[in-house]
Amino acid sequence: MKPQPPKRALQFLRWFCREDYLEEFEGDLVELFEKHFEISPKKAKRKFFWGVMRSFRPGFMKAFYKVNYSITTAMFKNNLKVAWRNALRQPFFTFLNTSGLAIGMAGALIITLFLHDELSFDKMFADAERIYRVNIENRTAGETNHFAAVSSPLANVMQRDFPQAEMITRLKVSNSILLKAADAEQNVKEDYVVGADSTFFEMFGLKLLYGNAQTALEKPNSIVLTKTAALKHFDLDKALGQSMILNNDEVYVVTGVMDDLPKNSLLRNHGVFISLPSFSDAKSLAWNTWSFPTFVKLRSTANKESLQAYLSTVKERYLIPWAMTFIPGMTLESALEMEKSSGNFMNFTSIALTDIHLHSPNIEDELSANSDIQNVYILSAVGVFLILLACVNFMNLSTARSLKRAKEVGVRKTLGSSRFGLIKQFLTESTLVAFVALVLAISITAISLPYFNQLAGKTISIPFGSPLLWLALFLVAIVLGFGSGSYPAFLMSRFAPIKGMKGGDISGTGGRTVINSLVVVQFAISVFLMVGTFVVFQQLRFIQSKDLGYQKDQVLIIDDVNATGDQIEAFKNEVKKIAQVENASLSSYLPTPSPRSATTYFPEKSLEGKDALIIGSWDIDYDYISTLGLELVAGRDFNMKFATDSNAMIMNESTAALLGVSPEEAIGMRFTDDFHREDKENMKYFTVIGVVKNFHFETLRNSIDALSLTLGGKPKKMLVKLSAGDFSKGISELENVWEKFAPNQPFDYYFMDDSFNHTYDAEQRLSKIFIIFTSLSIFIACLGLFGLAAFNAEKRSKEISIRKVLGASISQITYKLSIDFLKLVGLATVVSLPLAGYFMNRWLQDFSYRIEIPWWVYVLTAFMAVVISILTVSFQSTKAAMTSPIRALKQE
Amino acid sequence: MSEHSLGEFEELVLLLVAANNKEAYGVLILENLEEKLGKKVNVSAVHVALKRMENKGFVESSYGGITNERGGRRKKYYSITSLGKRVLDSQYELRTSIYQQIPNISFGQ
Repeated sequence: MKPQPPKRALQFLRWFCREDYLEEFEGDLVELFEKHFEISPKKAKRKFFWGVMRSFRPGFMKAFYKVNYSITTAMFKNNLKVAWRNALRQPFFTFLNTSGLAIGMAGALIITLFLHDELSFDKMFADAERIYRVNIENRTAGETNHFAAVSSPLANVMQRDFPQAEMITRLKVSNSILLKAADAEQNVKEDYVVGADSTFFEMFGLKLLYGNAQTALEKPNSIVLTKTAALKHFDLDKALGQSMILNNDEVYVVTGVMDDLPKNSLLRNHGVFISLPSFSDAKSLAWNTWSFPTFVKLRSTANKESLQAYLSTVKERYLIPWAMTFIPGMTLESALEMEKSSGNFMNFTSIALTDIHLHSPNIEDELSANSDIQNVYILSAVGVFLILLACVNFMNLSTARSLKRAKEVGVRKTLGSSRFGLIKQFLTESTLVAFVALVLAISITAISLPYFNQLAGKTISIPFGSPLLWLALFLVAIVLGFGSGSYPAFLMSRFAPIKGMKGGDISGTGGRTVINSLVVVQFAISVFLMVGTFVVFQQLRFIQSKDLGYQKDQVLIIDDVNATGDQIEAFKNEVKKIAQVENASLSSYLPTPSPRSATTYFPEKSLEGKDALIIGSWDIDYDYISTLGLELVAGRDFNMKFATDSNAMIMNESTAALLGVSPEEAIGMRFTDDFHREDKENMKYFTVIGVVKNFHFETLRNSIDALSLTLGGKPKKMLVKLSAGDFSKGISELENVWEKFAPNQPFDYYFMDDSFNHTYDAEQRLSKIFIIFTSLSIFIACLGLFGLAAFNAEKRSKEISIRKVLGASISQITYKLSIDFLKLVGLATVVSLPLAGYFMNRWLQDFSYRIEIPWWVYVLTAFMAVVISILTVSFQSTKAAMTSPIRALKQE
Repeated sequence: MSEHSLGEFEELVLLLVAANNKEAYGVLILENLEEKLGKKVNVSAVHVALKRMENKGFVESSYGGITNERGGRRKKYYSITSLGKRVLDSQYELRTSIYQQIPNISFGQ
């Protein structure tokens, strides 16, 4: 028995190899196999296999061999040639056709890449599909808020009584820190810092470049840096084991260096990971502070429902019993009853790791800014619109052009061309154009992507190495070519040859109707996008110019003023002495993005749960209200003359409204946050001394929450109100004072109005992206209209000439040629405006403070649509009307 | 010349076909090549060269008889055509004529 070559490989060879070569190749391969087999069977098999693979080339394949000698190939070559000649004969149309399609494709390609990036978030982590995060859903005072961080003990109790969890990891949200190597002078500010359990790296399948991932975060005062963060202080290979000083205070040891986290991950910005035991509250048993984002990796047998089912038991098992220990008279039943009657509640919920980026907008304490699935939908729609527009263009121009080729079709038919043959010819032409457009589109995308990235705040690139991309692009080109070529193909191949030969007028075939309806579709889309752009812009302007209830202009914020240590008050006094400074205040809390905190207050004489007041609470100082220009509607500001003001409180109108009292009635009310203590008679109370007018301290997506202001705290920021005029002198004076009080600390400052504007970055981006793609779509639609008008004018050149000869004026002819198109554009506008109004109103529902879409948006859009189309069409019409009639008439 | 182009590898294969005229087939050429070149060559490279030269008309082929070797598959024997021989000759002439133009170069020690 002779050794048998691998069966599969042989089968494969027989399948693809052309018959006349097969015996020879197979023979040679088998002979070699037999020879090699005597030396090493394994090697022989491998070599045989490799030999087969190497023979897998077009020249040896059945398919190509047959193709080469068939009539199909010959016809295909001929079709290509005809298509090419046709394209060259009418360069103007070819240009319009191809460039329109290319721009549309490029736009859609960019959108696709963008969406692909958005949808890829957090999927790169190991077992990402089994990882969930516990969130909190909290309803107080009629408003539901979601929090990305939960109570500290939750992870522990889960570990104990939820066996379906394979692993649980806590993070800890942290403020920005100042960091320096032990022997360095200069601090570096790190904005994205997070505390992490020792299981963090294992949970997310992350590896360390240096250090042991298992133990790096086990001990207190350990710190793991990303490559970028580490390079700010050390050479990469020397970082491990170095001592670092945090906030000029504590000493930490670098226990690991990791790669930067992917740009499309939740922790994309984070550079510093501090071991959780370093935080004093890491072992806290309190269920009412929420600052630990908690991730759970479920076993593959468990699912989200089982996690949710477990989480819904936590409140009764742990949270309420914990509250009962310090709220006298509270029982499980009374607590649940209270929840029902007050409508306030707090639940633990869960969200899949991969859903976080797109499916949890408006969540508080999030690690990095999230996006919104709505934007994904909007952009997908825009992308589809773009492609649709480009296709319609392509189809219209091809149809219009092919109508002119009736004679050619007639001759072909007479000479025996089958209908199918003609269809193939037209499809070849459109597919050829589609492929040329594809190549152009890829170049356009490659060139414009960096600009788009800047705009969208992304780092997207074209994955040229991905075969999937090429396959997709290839398919798209084929589908577009066939899709847009199909109509002219079927139209042209249908009519009787004699008709085409006779006069070339085949207007009875329905081509016009289809072209007209497509023009309507195109302009309807453009009008829709135009209204959308206007509305987004108006809403943004409204937000940015709305009276916020505080003065954000000329206010400078200095970060990390706690670096001045116990000199902070002296620093403030020194700052106030600068000539350009009108006022200065110390606080951690700002109406623009800054940390937030909430406190539970009880009114005097009632510690019943239903009277609990969980509201925002800010620690401020005597100058805060005057520095920000907040307006008092009742009572007075904090005043140093009254020693009792350390126990005074100023609330906002929303809080008064929540209590159901007028601002005047609120003055003198007393509240306590001191209810934990045993000796209730000694509880400390805050007395309300003033009520400030509501001011916007969240984005205008939200309404104004209840808020209390008290003196004290550990301020981290200084607000400096500068006098109008040149700020640079004031700033340099400030820097001098800073150098004196906090030498070698970074002087980090920004203007409040800039910070405010950043809050609307997402909307700004969206509106810019919108405007780009809207312009693109209008441009494409106009290209199409332009082409059609040119074609129309050309086709009717004889008619125009005769009219002129008979005495028609240029304006009459221009009117005659343009009016048909204008009717279509008018119809499109009428159809599209209400639709656009409806959808944009739905978009606006997201904002608590929003505009009504003003009537002039519709008028302006309609006006612009008409004007743009008149300009487009009339250029061609006038040109046609001005040509000398002789030229057109003498041709016959 | 261009229509009778002959690549370097093709030339080697053609020489071997000519040297083993009427006896040359895939495996034989492969083994000769590997021996002369002192390196491994894939048999499909030989096939490619043979088929290309067959299309150009430099070699022609015929099947041998059925034997017990190769699982009963026939060998395909190649022989050089007169065109092939001419191309080979002109190639050889070209090379020698240029080679003879090389002056006596001394590579100074």
